Amino acid sequence: MILLKLTWRSLWNRRISITLTLLSIAISISLLLGVEYIRKEAKSSFLNTISSTDLVVGARSGPVQLLLYSVFRIGNATNNIGWDTYQTLADHKRVAWTIPLSLGDSHKGFRVLGTNQDYFKYYRYANKQPLAFSQGEPFSDVYGAVLGAEVAKQLGYTLESSITLAHGAGATSFSEHKNKPFHIVGILKPTGTPIDRTVHVSLEGIEAIHIDWKAGAPVAGFEISAEKASRMHLEPETITAFLVGLKSRSATFRVQREINEYPQEPLLAVVPGIALAELWQSIGQFEVVLRIITLFVLIAGLLGMLTTLLSTLNERRREMAILRAIGAYPWQIFLLLLLEALIIVILGCLLGCLLVFVGVQFAQPWVTAEYGLHLSTWLPSADDALLLLLVTTLAILLSTLPALIAYRRTLQDGLTVKV
Amino acid sequence: MNIVELKQLRYRWKGQSKDVLHIPEFSIAQGEHVFLRGESGSGKTTLLNLLTGIIAPTSGEMRLLGQELHTASSMVKDRFRADHMGVIFQQFNLLPYLSVIENVTLPCHFSARRKQKAGDIKQSAIQLLDHLQLHENIRKSLVTELSVGQQQRVAVARALIGQPEIIIADEPTSALDTNTRNNFIQLLFSQAEAQDSTIIFVSHDPYIADYFPRVVEIADINEAL
Repeated sequence: MILLKLTWRSLWNRRISITLTLLSIAISISLLLGVEYIRKEAKSSFLNTISSTDLVVGARSGPVQLLLYSVFRIGNATNNIGWDTYQTLADHKRVAWTIPLSLGDSHKGFRVLGTNQDYFKYYRYANKQPLAFSQGEPFSDVYGAVLGAEVAKQLGYTLESSITLAHGAGATSFSEHKNKPFHIVGILKPTGTPIDRTVHVSLEGIEAIHIDWKAGAPVAGFEISAEKASRMHLEPETITAFLVGLKSRSATFRVQREINEYPQEPLLAVVPGIALAELWQSIGQFEVVLRIITLFVLIAGLLGMLTTLLSTLNERRREMAILRAIGAYPWQIFLLLLLEALIIVILGCLLGCLLVFVGVQFAQPWVTAEYGLHLSTWLPSADDALLLLLVTTLAILLSTLPALIAYRRTLQDGLTVKV
Repeated sequence: MNIVELKQLRYRWKGQSKDVLHIPEFSIAQGEHVFLRGESGSGKTTLLNLLTGIIAPTSGEMRLLGQELHTASSMVKDRFRADHMGVIFQQFNLLPYLSVIENVTLPCHFSARRKQKAGDIKQSAIQLLDHLQLHENIRKSLVTELSVGQQQRVAVARALIGQPEIIIADEPTSALDTNTRNNFIQLLFSQAEAQDSTIIFVSHDPYIADYFPRVVEIADINEAL
């Protein structure tokens, strides 16, 4: 007990330099825990992009590629699937609902998605959350558009704004569908998924703007007005992909096989959960890099502590001699320095935890408003506890060096230090 | 009973062929305050380290309070020092981060025997400090604010608390001026005698020798020289 008291008082006596050491450790601890937290949150938000969908179906390519373009709006489809194929599969006896997806156009760098009202009815993200409107409602006519939260925010659009779509996915496109403007009828609430960055229009709208186009370019001297086009027969010939909800989840693999072996057209059906996990693994390399970086930061923090401990050894030589004269055993001197490191590291861990907790609490409303990501409150998990234990052990191991030096000196110096 | 009994005590550094200390016979009786006079190089430091149990003799016998310490382990000697010895250094005797009272009571936390003898350790410390003319306002100041003379008297109180049998003072007056020095010695004597502690006082200052009933030249008892 007296050792603990002596350590504490001695630390308090050197509180300025000790506080700095403590801070450097706390910051590296909070970095370590924060990175771990962000990794978990990013993963869960990534896996939350799509929910309740049993199968994603597209033209035959790779599962990751299909997922990327249909769910994350990254990259392009190599091939489309026929409308009749879609119709047939949508009527399959085990299928409860489908959402058709038609991609290929953009608006100022944001992807345009052609779909139908079922999208707003059936699409789920995160924990089976449906899409919600902050303003307006789903489109009901050919030229209606529904914006994702970020599109509206970045471009400053409100209801009744008018937009024109561009062919292709680039931010600046030379071929715009200028003659057929869309008006905004709805703006979605933030979801924290790629939906926020998407412009939704009807399949008919997509068909209408391409009705006077052939092979990706307008046909010269052949223009059909927007009003006239809307009255034409606008059933699409192809779509890019579609999402499937089954009546019973247990039929998933069976229906998947059936689609994959669909005789009329080469198709690929993937289970989103499995494909997402696969995708996360392939982009999860950055986790490792991030962890290595934080590990180095931590080591720097601990070395800082070691430096402080070592640098005080000389000025504390007299202190050790006094304690020895009073009858302290050499091992008690050793313990004194270990205790010192232990107190610093435990306080550092606590302060680090506090920093992460407060940081997350502060960031929460902002991240939710800005990115639609819901951050869960940070609480130390079993993994974190293990991490902190590891750090503490490491600190104790490192502090045996100054402790051993003090121990040896105390034996050499005896009671006669003339410092 | 003899407080200290040395017989053919030798100390030699490892790897050296010559002894730095060789005392054929030396003893100190209880209550016989001894002034050990010696210049540096006389083996003074070695003798002190041997007596306090910091180093072990190369050969010979060393009995303190009848206990055979020449064969004792360093643990036993550390324990013995905690229980039976009060040590006063030349200077910087106190831990700067403890209060005056805490500095004085410190030995009681390392020795159950001295704690038990002191009874109420805080009260005991206050009493000692009072006797050493360190009154309330000084007791409450920071250790670092005390004059050297005051610090040395606090060190005396710490050495005396819990009534250890042996007080070892290693040039405790060398940093004091003449007046403070005389006052210091008188206080040390009166308090040590009040609790039957025997003083072993090491110094090269011949003026202090007058206070002591027995003066020993280290050079005279150390045959290694």
